[in-house]
Amino acid sequence: MLNIKNLHAGVENKEILKGLDLSIKPGEMHAVMGRNGSGKSTLSNVITGKDGYNISKGDIQYNNESIIEWAPEKRALAGIFMSFQYPVIMPGVNNTYFLKAALNAKRKNFGKKELDAAEFLKIVKNKLNELDMDTSYLQRAVNEGFSGGEKKRNEILQMLTLEPELVIMDETDSGLDIDALKIIANGVNKFRDPERSFLVITHYQRLLKYIEPDVVHVLIDGKIVRSGDKELALELEEKGYQWLEK
Amino acid sequence: MMPDYLQTEFEKILGREYFSKEVHPIRKKAYDNLLRKGLPNKKCEDWRFTDLSAIKSGDFRISEIEDGPKKDIRISNHGLESLDTIVIYNGHFQKNMSSVPKGITLLSNMDYMNNNGWSVEQPEMTSFDLLNSAFMDSGICLVIKEKTNIETPLRILFICSGNENIMITPRIHLDLGESSSLTLVEQHEGNCEEYFYNGSMIVNIGENASLDHVRIQNNSKKMINMCNLHVQQNSRSNYSFSQFAFGGMLARINLNANLIGEGIYCALNGLSLSNDKQHSDAHVITNHHGTHSTSSQNFKSILKDRSSGVFNGRAIVHEGAEKTDSSQSNKNLLLSQDAIMNSNPQLEIYTDDVKCSHGSTTGALEEDALFYIQSRGLDEASARELLVRGFASEIIDLISNDEIRDHVIDHFDQWINGNNQ
Repeated sequence: MLNIKNLHAGVENKEILKGLDLSIKPGEMHAVMGRNGSGKSTLSNVITGKDGYNISKGDIQYNNESIIEWAPEKRALAGIFMSFQYPVIMPGVNNTYFLKAALNAKRKNFGKKELDAAEFLKIVKNKLNELDMDTSYLQRAVNEGFSGGEKKRNEILQMLTLEPELVIMDETDSGLDIDALKIIANGVNKFRDPERSFLVITHYQRLLKYIEPDVVHVLIDGKIVRSGDKELALELEEKGYQWLEK
Repeated sequence: MMPDYLQTEFEKILGREYFSKEVHPIRKKAYDNLLRKGLPNKKCEDWRFTDLSAIKSGDFRISEIEDGPKKDIRISNHGLESLDTIVIYNGHFQKNMSSVPKGITLLSNMDYMNNNGWSVEQPEMTSFDLLNSAFMDSGICLVIKEKTNIETPLRILFICSGNENIMITPRIHLDLGESSSLTLVEQHEGNCEEYFYNGSMIVNIGENASLDHVRIQNNSKKMINMCNLHVQQNSRSNYSFSQFAFGGMLARINLNANLIGEGIYCALNGLSLSNDKQHSDAHVITNHHGTHSTSSQNFKSILKDRSSGVFNGRAIVHEGAEKTDSSQSNKNLLLSQDAIMNSNPQLEIYTDDVKCSHGSTTGALEEDALFYIQSRGLDEASARELLVRGFASEIIDLISNDEIRDHVIDHFDQWINGNNQ
């Protein structure tokens, strides 16, 4: 599903990713672990198409197509979704309105009929239940006045509603208490599917206790230096990153 | 230097037979003061960013009876059909087209003066207040006695039409009696070329009374719209003002709210939308004289192209106005590199034990927010529109009446799609 080959990317003159390879097949859950500054955020940003990064070498392929020239919305419509580390606050933009516009953009792209307000509400109310969120979320402005946990839940609500194929979870566990973490993990686990892949980007293995990865990668200085199964995450927890650094 | 046309037109207005000579002393006194004071220039702090050359170098004439409507106009063309409406067409009150709801007494300026023993104070803070006193034409006084709840909103529809450099100077008084309530909509419409509107509205809100005031300024883009609004609030009264300014080449509101009693609520809001070379200006003063009052100023501007704007807000907490709670916010969105905004929120506090805050932000749309929206599948143009709409809706959503709010949203939609005039 996702194939990253020898990716060199950075900002201005600074190279951050220095030849990264990563391949994720349908149905797989991968975790990329690394310290601050190892290139985790750059990785998620270049996959989703954020402006301001140069890709000097290598390629990112999604379903066998190179996407590095694609606008962010084209990637989203093709099925890529990121749960943001810092979801953006949008004063005055109603949460329902935003989510409905996003879902209808996607439906339109696939030649499906756009949903009206009542049809949309029916869908989204089911998703709210799964995340233990009440309907007052829908009336609020996007992320405005949301606690850290509420913002992350709102990200997962968007994920469940938009039904992407490839989900990137960027530091989803940061700022979450254990109850919120369990709710989110539960939402994600139910969403796992043989056709759907996940890339969990995280500093700690905390989240991985609840969302079990098939493969764990260690990112150091812009390269994946080791890959293994979920035991690798535990090993990192115990020993830190130092033993893998040169 | 006073523009020549003012002198000739002033003589003309004194000679008008249908205006009472009894008002002449008020006119003359104001005109003399205006001559002494002059029109403001850029050296005046409050007028630094307001280019008045269109007024100074213009050649305006007062509106004649012949400038009235040629045929009956359709009020329904201006939306808001369920409202009661008072029509003022090129400065002439249109009695046959107007409907004044039960509970409101409509007086001429003369009757109003007579009723008040000629002791009505003329607010004369700026040169444009003086200009209004000297030239006042469409005098309308609305009196609502105590304990009267006017359910249907009342609209004053100002239609400015024609292309002959007309200058109109409406003077509106509104007295809202104790424990009464009203929703007032001021709507400015019309297709005109160079045109100078200098209107004053003087509002007195009685104890426990409540006034919701929505001002929709949708003039043509060649118009000068100078609005002088003076509001006096008595104890435990409520005043909510929201202005939506779309039109005018030069549009300015000088808003003074005087909170002279206790336990008053005063919320002043504005949204200006400008493009091309429009200039939109809001000068807002809230004076706290009594204790336990709450006030807010919440003004926003969205500027495109080479347009410019000013927010100059002052909240003054006078000695003895303890337990005042006052907030001030000015947020501006620049949608073009060439747009300019001048923002100057000020607090003046002369007493202890008050809660005051103020803040101002001016900037372009945030890249992070655009990316966030795009990452959910919406294209960049849609993302921009969503954010601009959200920015504006914080003010638009303050309108509690659905019909009025929808009307403003329609105007906003036209503006955002670039279809306004």
